[in-house]
Amino acid sequence: MKIVLDHLQVQQGEWSLLVNGTFEEGIHLVSGVVGSGKSTLALAMAGIFTPSQGTVKREGIKTLMLSTQFPEFHITRLSIAEECASWGLDYKDVIRSARLKVDGNVSPLSLSRGELKRFHLACILAREYDLLLVDEPFSSLDCIEKELLCRELSTHDSGITIIFTHEQSIFPHVDHLWEIDAGELCALGRLPGALTRWQRAPALIKKLTDLGRCPVNLTPDAIREAACRIHE
Amino acid sequence: MQDPRIRLASAALISVAAFISIWGALAVLLWWLLFTPRMRRVKNIRVVTGMLVLIGVIAVLIWISGGDGLSYFLRFGVIVLVGTWLYTEQKPGDFLAVSVWAGKNRWGFELGMIGECAMQIAELLLCDYARIRIAMKLKGEDWGVRTLVPLCLILIHDALMRADEIAELLAVRGYRNGGVCCPVFCTGTLDQVSGICAICVFFFSIVPVSEFFILSM
Repeated sequence: MKIVLDHLQVQQGEWSLLVNGTFEEGIHLVSGVVGSGKSTLALAMAGIFTPSQGTVKREGIKTLMLSTQFPEFHITRLSIAEECASWGLDYKDVIRSARLKVDGNVSPLSLSRGELKRFHLACILAREYDLLLVDEPFSSLDCIEKELLCRELSTHDSGITIIFTHEQSIFPHVDHLWEIDAGELCALGRLPGALTRWQRAPALIKKLTDLGRCPVNLTPDAIREAACRIHE
Repeated sequence: MQDPRIRLASAALISVAAFISIWGALAVLLWWLLFTPRMRRVKNIRVVTGMLVLIGVIAVLIWISGGDGLSYFLRFGVIVLVGTWLYTEQKPGDFLAVSVWAGKNRWGFELGMIGECAMQIAELLLCDYARIRIAMKLKGEDWGVRTLVPLCLILIHDALMRADEIAELLAVRGYRNGGVCCPVFCTGTLDQVSGICAICVFFFSIVPVSEFFILSM
């Protein structure tokens, strides 16, 4: 099971994005600054956006899901119960999973942005997909919710999970690291080796790698462990 | 057409002309062919085609039930084409400029601003519709009567929410009523010619065709 991006090019005026790479099973983190083209790449991988050039080949992928940055874009029903049903889910399970204290008759659009994000992510993560594309999953979430989401995402051990984010502090367990830099997607490789090649790495990761205490992964526990090694 | 005053007035006149009679609709169609870029600048040609198909279906139903389906199709089809042209040519600020020119800085400004907000919401409705289509595609949902009603309600809900937010934003920024706007219009020769032709089309539609010809037995 893999997704192959062959000389994919997106051109919009002066801005452009060039992508070449193969995403295999595991958890991939695609990092890049705001406006670098992460969302565009996610849409192209999902087959919703047609790039100017190149091809997207999905091999052995039968089920696909894209979670966009804005949770309200996914709402197609007027109540939480109906919305959950449109995902093929029972609303009581979703409400419990999203840690919401609402009734099934409530409109999902009446939730706050953070609550709606939690609700949407709970719907997405309730099912297994061969290819799961998650665009900015940490936006609108507080630190506690980010950590809970990271734990949830880290348990995804089947299929291809690709997380597109500019997050700089809280990450899930990641197998492969990618970076969009200067209009091009660069494959940085597997962790922990990829961390030393990360151009726009978070300050803490950069500091740790500079001190030769490279964390084994990006999870809070792994970073804490590497930080503790400094004083050894 | 550069001058929004002539554009809006022409659109109003020829829409009435097309509605009044089949001859008026044909004259408007000729006007549309001569003075507009036709379908070249239309942003969403599928929506226009869909509307024309819908009118065609209704026209067939009218024809089957013994009515004048052809007249219905021509008149309303032409009105859709005029509306599409007006929407495509519309630029941000046109409504405000024309309203202030016609109704000065108090009521004209208010009406113009409402028109501008409505145009903005119409644009965003199309974006919302596209997003909902993507969301449904991702969920593997099919289009149908059961999904159509909640989708329309979501679109209306979003539009009302947006209108509410705009109103709150204006209030927070201290807006009470009226405003100052000094519109500048650029009227080209083609604007004048097409405007005069639109007036002619309007009169042609309200005067019976037989009046143009000397019919003697």
